[in-house]
Amino acid sequence: MKRLSCPFCGSRELEEFLFHKTLPEPGSDAYAAVYERVNRLDDSHEYWQHVHGCRAWLYVRRNPSTGEVHETVLLGGSTP
Amino acid sequence: MYAWRLHADRITPSQLAPRSEARAHQPAGALMRGPSPRYSAWSLLRARFAGPGFWQPLWHGARLKDAYDVVIVGAGGHGLATAFHLARDHGVKRIAVLEKRLVGYGNVGRNTTIVRSNYLLPENHYFYEDALRRWETLSSDLNYNVMYSPRGVIDFALSDGDMVDLARRGNALRLAGIDAELLDREAVLRFAPELDAGGPRRFDIVGGLLQPRGGSVRHDAVAWGYARAATALGVDIIEDCEVTGLRSAAGVATGVETSRGYVKAERVVFAVAGHTGQFGQMLGMNLPIETHLLQAMVTEPIKPLISTVLVYVHAHGEAYVLQSDRGGVVMGGFLDGFPSYTREGQWYRMEDVVQTAVALLPQLAGLRILRHWAGTNDMTMDGSFIIDRMRYDNVFVNGGWCYGGFKAIPASGAACATLVATGTAPDLIRAHTLSRFRTGHLLDERGGGPFPVRL
Repeated sequence: MKRLSCPFCGSRELEEFLFHKTLPEPGSDAYAAVYERVNRLDDSHEYWQHVHGCRAWLYVRRNPSTGEVHETVLLGGSTP
Repeated sequence: MYAWRLHADRITPSQLAPRSEARAHQPAGALMRGPSPRYSAWSLLRARFAGPGFWQPLWHGARLKDAYDVVIVGAGGHGLATAFHLARDHGVKRIAVLEKRLVGYGNVGRNTTIVRSNYLLPENHYFYEDALRRWETLSSDLNYNVMYSPRGVIDFALSDGDMVDLARRGNALRLAGIDAELLDREAVLRFAPELDAGGPRRFDIVGGLLQPRGGSVRHDAVAWGYARAATALGVDIIEDCEVTGLRSAAGVATGVETSRGYVKAERVVFAVAGHTGQFGQMLGMNLPIETHLLQAMVTEPIKPLISTVLVYVHAHGEAYVLQSDRGGVVMGGFLDGFPSYTREGQWYRMEDVVQTAVALLPQLAGLRILRHWAGTNDMTMDGSFIIDRMRYDNVFVNGGWCYGGFKAIPASGAACATLVATGTAPDLIRAHTLSRFRTGHLLDERGGGPFPVRL
């Protein structure tokens, strides 16, 4: 994994993005949403931000064992 | 302007807290049996006349049995140390250490070999001080030279504000009876003359906090030494044996499923640095752990240049630099910044570490990087480790070591073995429970909240 694709800016170097956190499981209580992490080998749902670019918040789904990015979606907007 | 000096000078030896838990010094060599001859000058002499075949493998193909008192998952530093202490201190007879790949193949062979105990919080600095005291005598305890080298660890301050921070940490350490010295600029340059004092710097060195007993330990030797000592005490080390599941009945774990079949176990310990999250998932729990990559690299060997361990941790760059006994300059830095199991380090972090190291020591600029690697770190949501029961009364987790796994190994093994053998956590790890995140008793060394990465 070397690059992420921003819906506005296109494929950019990973260094431009800041990982925020993994998404809690649906239906988590407040404790689980803040402290627990879904830590799977093959699938990770995450919030990122394009901090050194357009500053858009992104939802990213990827495989943390291979680095393959499955999906990058603009948060609060429609899928580009 | 120099208020920090007053605070640092106010501590006197009579104010020091009593030393943390004294331990019984008991060399393992005396207890050893089995194939490995005890190393001594006498054994060298005997080997000279005994001919080939005198030296035995440090550990060798134990056969997996059907049932054990304790099954430890993971033959890294923590798993092997726990096995060693269970066998030596608590007389547990039937112990197996199951390893997916090879002994010492994970993080115990991937770290930057630094040992120190200069943590701010009492729960952490007493624990790491226990570890440091054990490092001091580990070579004789294991009858194996782990090359402990107390060459000193310096954290650098670049401003008066940094000095206030370091003085606060140093005072916390000295109140606990742990060695810490606040150095001004001249003292730093006297202690580490390899630093470039005259050159232009954007951020000049104002001072530093030195822990003289901190330093470095040969990491592979730690895994090998513990494996040898544990084998001699009758522990079965089974390599190439992956644990794939846990069986339970009536709310009690009964054994583990492995790639070599089912193994019954009275107690199970998970010491699976970097993969603790998966075993949480296996037990149906989401743990407060994210798995990140941390990189390290080593240059080509050069003549002795760096006399100490230089730790430069600031917002604009982070690097810790030391020279191995082989002569290579070992460097590490910050996490890559996002969860990953690829063990594929990001270029930007490597660049950041090298730039910072060269800013600190411009004479490194001509060197070539010989090797570069990454390891998976269990990052907990407060930056401190977890040794506790997990889900079942007879299942234990030893993990979440963040950046502090290697330096903790001897204390972790002893404390975890006590918890597993007696069922009661010793004082040193009483705060490091899994439930502390729920009850709000966090051990947040950094004061950063529930995020492993905040840049």
